[in-house]
Order: sequence, then C-alpha cells, then structure tokens
Amino acid sequence: MTQRLQDIAASSIASWIPVAILAALPFIVGGSWTFTLGLCFANSIGVLAVSFLVRYGGEVSIGHTFFTALGAYAVGVLDTRFGVSLWASVPLALLLGVSLGIAFAWPSRNLHGIYLAVTTLALALAVPEMINNLDWITGGYEGLYVSTPLVPGVEMGLQRYYLGLAMLVAVAAAVARFRLSRQGMTLLLAKTHPAAADAFGTRRVWARIAVMGISGGIGALCGATLAFSGSTVSPGGFTFWQAIFLLVGSVVSFYGLSLVRVLIGGAFVTLVPQLLSASGAWIPVFYGLSLLGMILLGHYLPRIQKTLARRKGGA
Amino acid sequence: MTFWDTLLYDLFPLIWSGMITGCLYALGALGLVMIFKCSKVVNFSHGNVAGLTAFLVYGLSSGVLLSLSWGAAVIVALLCAVAIAFLIYAIISPLVFESDLTSTIATLGFGLIAQGVTLLLFGADIVALDLPIPRFAFSVFGLLVTGYDLTVLAVAVVTIGALFIVIDYTKLGIAFRAISENPFAAEVCGLNLRSVHLFAWVTAAILGVIGALLIVPTTFLSVTTVATFMLQAFAAAVIGGFASLPGSLVGGILIGVLMNLFTFYVSPEFSSTFLLGIILLALNIFPNGVLQRVGGSRV
Amino acid sequence: MDQVTNALRGDGIALSFGGIKVLKGLDVEFRAGEITGLIGPNGAGKTSLFNCLTGAYRPQHGSITYAGTSLDGLPPAARAGKGIVRSFQHVALCPDLSVRENVMIGVARNYSAGWASAFLPLSAGRKERQDMAAAADRVLADLGLADSADLLPSELPPGTQRLVEIARAIVGKPSVLLLDEPAAGLNNSETRDLMKVLRKLASTDLVLVVVEHDMDLVMSICDRIYVLNFGEFVAVGTPEEVRGNEDVVRIYLGSDDDE
Ligand SMILES: Nc1ncnc2c1ncn2[C@@H]1O[C@H](COP(=O)(O)OP(=O)(O)OP(=O)(O)O)[C@@H](O)[C@H]1O
Ligand SMILES: [Mg+2]
Repeated sequence: MTQRLQDIAASSIASWIPVAILAALPFIVGGSWTFTLGLCFANSIGVLAVSFLVRYGGEVSIGHTFFTALGAYAVGVLDTRFGVSLWASVPLALLLGVSLGIAFAWPSRNLHGIYLAVTTLALALAVPEMINNLDWITGGYEGLYVSTPLVPGVEMGLQRYYLGLAMLVAVAAAVARFRLSRQGMTLLLAKTHPAAADAFGTRRVWARIAVMGISGGIGALCGATLAFSGSTVSPGGFTFWQAIFLLVGSVVSFYGLSLVRVLIGGAFVTLVPQLLSASGAWIPVFYGLSLLGMILLGHYLPRIQKTLARRKGGA
Repeated sequence: MTFWDTLLYDLFPLIWSGMITGCLYALGALGLVMIFKCSKVVNFSHGNVAGLTAFLVYGLSSGVLLSLSWGAAVIVALLCAVAIAFLIYAIISPLVFESDLTSTIATLGFGLIAQGVTLLLFGADIVALDLPIPRFAFSVFGLLVTGYDLTVLAVAVVTIGALFIVIDYTKLGIAFRAISENPFAAEVCGLNLRSVHLFAWVTAAILGVIGALLIVPTTFLSVTTVATFMLQAFAAAVIGGFASLPGSLVGGILIGVLMNLFTFYVSPEFSSTFLLGIILLALNIFPNGVLQRVGGSRV
Repeated sequence: MDQVTNALRGDGIALSFGGIKVLKGLDVEFRAGEITGLIGPNGAGKTSLFNCLTGAYRPQHGSITYAGTSLDGLPPAARAGKGIVRSFQHVALCPDLSVRENVMIGVARNYSAGWASAFLPLSAGRKERQDMAAAADRVLADLGLADSADLLPSELPPGTQRLVEIARAIVGKPSVLLLDEPAAGLNNSETRDLMKVLRKLASTDLVLVVVEHDMDLVMSICDRIYVLNFGEFVAVGTPEEVRGNEDVVRIYLGSDDDE
C-alpha cells in the first residue's frame, strides 16, 4: 500500500526466517537445550510486556512479576487442581492479566515516571508474599507441576517447546499489528503529547489504563507460557529480582518490540543465570554491568556516531 | 483484660517500637529524598550499597577480612560508602542531565552489582552484627525502654538535627536548597549542580550506613536484610511526598507505627501487600505531596 | 445576533495561576462562517484562552457554550468529541508516527473498530485504517504535503511540521477550529497557501479562530479581530476598525519600543 507499510511487511517477512530456524531447532539440538529455549521464549514475552509499557506508555515497571505470576498460577492451579489444559487456562490468564493491569492502573493513573516505578516496585514485593501465604491454592514454596498435555499423544518436551514458540510469535505479531491500529497510534501520541491526545479525543487516564491493561495481559501470557514450557510454577520464579531482570532484558534489547529484539532480551534473562549458575554471586554483578553497559552505550553511541560522521564529512 | 489493659500492654509498646524503627526508616528515606530533591533520580542502589557497607563493618571487625576495632571498622566502611557514592555519581552524572528515568534504571544496575559484590565477599550466610552499646532496660509507665531504643533515638535525633543544620546554614546546604527549588535558575546564578549532587549522594551514603548499622541488631545481617529495610524507607519517602525532607521524617515514623500495628493486629504475613496498599492509598489521597506539578502542564 | 446559533461563546472567563491573573473576565463570541482573529503581544493570554475553550485549563469563573449548549465541566476529550479542535503553538506531533499517521489521528474519534481488530488481522481494522489513511491523504494533498506523507515529522522543516499540525486539526471536519499561530515559521509562499486553505475552510458552519502574529495574514483573511492585552480585550471589530484603534497602535508600537 504505502512505503512504510511495505517496510513493516518486509520486516515481518524478515522475522519469519528466525521463526523458521527456531521451528527446526528441536531436531538439531538436544533435549536440555530445547527446554531452555522454551523458557527463553516465555521470558521474551515478559520482556515484550515491559518494553510495551515503555514504548506505548513511556513508563517503566519494576514489578512485572506480578503479572507473570498471575498468568503462571492461573495455568498451574487450573492444571494441577482441576486438570484443565491450556486451551482454557491461557484465555483465563490473559483475562486476569488485563483485569489486574487495569485494576492497578486505576489507583496509579496520575503517577508518572519515577513515582510509578516505585509503585510497581511495591507491586513486585507483594508478589512472593502473596504466593507463599495463599499456599492452599498456590502450593506455597513447593509450587505446582504442570503436566497436562496440550495435544494428547505428542511428546511433552516438544509440546513445551513449540507452545512457547507459538505464543511468542503470536504475541509479537499481535503487538506489531497493534502499531498500525487506531488505538496504537493514539496511545503513541498520548505518550509524547498527552495534551494533544486529549485535544483529539484520547483521555490520558484512558491511555494509561489501556497501556497497563495490555502490558499486564502480555505479562500474564508470559507467565502462562513460563508455567507450561518450564513445567513448574514456584515462588522462586517471581521474586523481586526476577522483576528487575525483566527490566534488564528490556533495556538490553533497547526496548524493542520486534521478535528478534525481544528474543535477545529473553535470551539474556534466561541464559545468563544458566551459564553463570556455577558461580551464583556473579549473576547480579553481570546483570548490573550489562544494564549499565547498555544504558551507557545508548547514551554514548549516538554521540560517537555523530563525531564519526562529522569527521567523515570534514575529510 | 479490659480495654485499657490491652491499650497499655499492646498498643503503647507497639507504637513505641514502631516509632523507633520509624526513625530508622526516616534515616533511609532522607537519603533517598536528598538525592531525589536535587537530581530527580531515585537511587535504587541505596539499600544494597548500605548493606554492603554493613557487611564491611562486620568483615573488618570480626576477623573475616581484618580484626579492627568496631569504631575503626565503621570509619573504614564510611569511607568506602563515600567512595562508592562518588563512583556511582561519576558514572551516571552524564545521564542525570539527560533523563532522570534512565539514570534511575542505572542505579538499579549499581544495586545489582553491590549485591553481587556482597555475595562474592561474604557469601550468602547470615551473620550477627551488634552495636557496642550497654545492655540495659527500664520501664516507664509500663513501657519497656531498652538501651538500644535510646541509642537509636539519640543517633537519629543527632544525625537528623545535624543534617538540617547543614542544609540550613552551610553554603553547600543553601546551594542544595536553591537547586532543589529551581535547578535552571540556580545554575544561572553560578551554583555548581555537580558539587551539590555529590553533596547529596555522599550525605545519603552516610545516612545509609548509619541506618544500616542501627537496624541490623534487631534482626541479623544477610544480603537482603538492609535492602528489605530500605524498601520501607522507600515507602516512607513516598508517603512523605518524596521531595520533602520533613515529610520523609513523618513518613518514616508513620510507616514504622502502621507496619507494627498491622503485623500485630492483622497479619504478619502480608506486610509487603499492606505496604503496597499504603503507598497506593497515600498517592491517591495526597497526590500533591507527590506530584509537585501545580497549575497543570503547559501546552 | 440571535440568529447566529452555531457560535462558540465565552462569558466572563477569568483564569489565574497562583494569584497572577492571566484572563480577566473575557466575553467572546466566535461566530460560525467567519474567520476570527485573536491577536495580542506575547503573554497576553491568547493560548490560555484557547486552553480554556478546549478544556485544557479550567477557568475559575465564567462559562463556555457552543451552539447553545454548555461545555463547562466537559474534559478536553469530550469537547473534541463535539468537534472542537485545535492546533498547538508548539508543534505537538508524535515523533514515532509518520506524517500520514499523525494526520490520521485527527479522524480517529470518528472510528470505532474494537480491540480485537487492533491486535488481530481482521477486516474491520484494515478497512478503518484504509479509510483514515484516505482522509489523511486528501487533506495532505490539499496542503501540498502529499510527498511528505510517509516521512517522519522530524524529517520535515519546522514550517512544514506546522502545516501537518493544521492538517491533523482539519481532517476530522471540525465544527470549531482554533489555530494557534499557524503561520509561525512558514515562508511567504507557504503562508499564501495557508491563507487559501483557511479561506476555503471558512464555510458557513465552521467557527474558525486564528491566533497569529503575522499582521498581514490576520488583516487580510479575518472578518473580525479581537485584540488581547494583559488578559483583557482592548479592541474588537473589523480589520479596518482595529487598524484605526489608537490603543491597538499604542500596544504594538509600545512593544516595538521594548525590543
Ligand atoms: N500553566 C501555566 N502556569 C502558570 N502560568 C501560565 C500557565 N500558562 C500560561 N501562563 C501565563 O499566562 C500568561 C499568558 O500566557 P499565554 O501562553 O496564554 O500567552 P500568549 O498570548 O499565548 O503568548 P504568546 O504570543 O507568547 O504565545 C503568561 O504570563 C504565562 O506565563
Ligand atoms: Mg501563545
């Protein structure tokens, strides 16, 4: 149709190539890698949820484990207590994520920037406590084991892998489409010029609630995928630090929303702890350094490029 | 038990001990607010850096690293805290002038590093770190007052008093107030933003060490103790309006008392959830304390 | 007077910020079918008056009505829903959206495809986008911006960005159009194009108000002019009346002296 739309279409074709490669991977690499990659897909969705809030709301959350936990426990509880499979629990997780995103957005609708970040921090802190104290349903410290297959008869390891991949691709595609929608455009305007958005019929409060609802919903989908692909749901996956790691993943991928970008963020969140698992103390150090490194890179790179360009132009 | 007895035996002691811990929350909150007031950065590394320095005091005085006296260990730890504050500010200062949110995220990175360094140096074990103060206790009107309580009160009063004197009367303190009011105008008048920011970071670091050393005896010292304690300080700062020094004092004491009452009368298990509730409630009831915007944004 | 029903009226609008009186009880009637000019030196309160009319500011006193119905208490978004639309003095385009998409926002309030079509490839969403894009392209062509439709606002010179802002304001067929310094930063030929567009817009049912420092533009296209100084009107009338008004001359000469 138009140039930019073609660009977007082209980039979506470009992202089918990695999808094709990922779809073929289980036949090449071993089972433990298949499992790790499944987790990686799930975490990528979580990174996407955080980046979505940044891109469309201009806000930073350090509390998205609230939503991932919600989705994960929706799947875990339905599976272990009622034997309900993902077909029903994923929509429920989405619904819960969106509703609680809205429920959180309402009382915090007038908070911005740092104030909102601090409030989401409180949200993240409340999560482990809620999980542990609602142990009659969440299984407390021990957690829940998700074992009901999605498609009976297919090997469970493959199911866990492909569900993760499918969810990630679906969410990334939906978010890419959202960019073109009326709602997406008005949210982007509301982010940069709330007064202008107001003057064209988009209320700020509506914008905030919509962004939080969507981001919460994506976060819950991350949790749901995490529960199925990772097979266990336990409080250890939803600590305050995990919430920060999601943010780190988002910063590391430069708040990108494309499939490849969020995969980078998700891989970061998943692989660093695995690779450094032998020396646990290095994990926070490494995360901290990467976070700083990426932020400083984002700060200095444009300057360096500019000086380089100037030098080239002068020569 | 009559109503009055309950009041006497439960409520008063709860309020008293809540006020004592509240003073400590206030010390933590003051550090956060100092930095926020002048540079609009929320220092998420506050708790972890203070925790690291508390561990340094432990390591230097217990023989793990060295066997200094307690006082010498505290001095070394304070120097380290100041050095770390310098280092952090040096790295993030180019960001501070660009985006307060980005620099705030950067402080999360420093928090992670401080936590990792603590783990690397001291491991994940729990240690005990007491204050060298005489142990005694007496009761006033049925209220049990310990030496620890009095120490905390005395130190808090002296520290906070000193802080307010510095801010009110020294040159740096006056510059700090001017820049907090209006950074642009103050800079035009020739005040150096960076030195004021550094003043705030260093003061905050010192307040953090004091707060950490005083809170540790009530529990024990682990990688997360001080960070958790600082979260209450966060809540205190938020309730106090985040940009007000007296506000954080009031907020600290309020949080201390409310948390004590909640854990005793309602449930000790949901204290963080309760904290979340308080923060949301406070932000909605007193949005102007937090949102400093007056008169709406310009278009 | 009474037969002019589709007018935007303000009665006794008073606005102050922390004791500083920005608007001191203004009575205005902006009539449909006319181009009204609103002029005055810097800081006179022109933008503030627009902000009161669109609901961005809440005046402490006074009431605002459009076509006989009160707008008091309505938030800006609801006033936009009634077709009261403005442009901004400081260009307020979204840097992440293309020029066409920025203009599409101006018609967004007339569309209502649901959330499902925002995320899923459904025909309702696609059709909505096509319709909005077509409307935007038409207006962009009118303003001579057809070539820039796919660029980002930051790739355009400031004057052109302002035209995009105006395109966004007029694309939704507003009933009240408040333009805040539309010609600032435009070169002569662009200004002439703009004047043509504005004249064309001045149909019988549109209330069109222009805040502008370019006196030639104001004097040549406006039917009525309000002159604002320190939150008070010093003159109201036709361009000839205003031009001849001593107070107006003094204000403008006076401000020239200061510079
Ligand atoms: N949000 C606000 N808070 C405080 N004062 C304000 C606010 N908005 C406007 N003012 C004050 O109101 C007065 C009028 O401002 P306004 O922007 O309406 O002037 P203007 O006539 O549009 O001037 P210009 O030609 O420079 O755009 C100014 O003194 C300004 O400082
Ligand atoms: Mg103006």
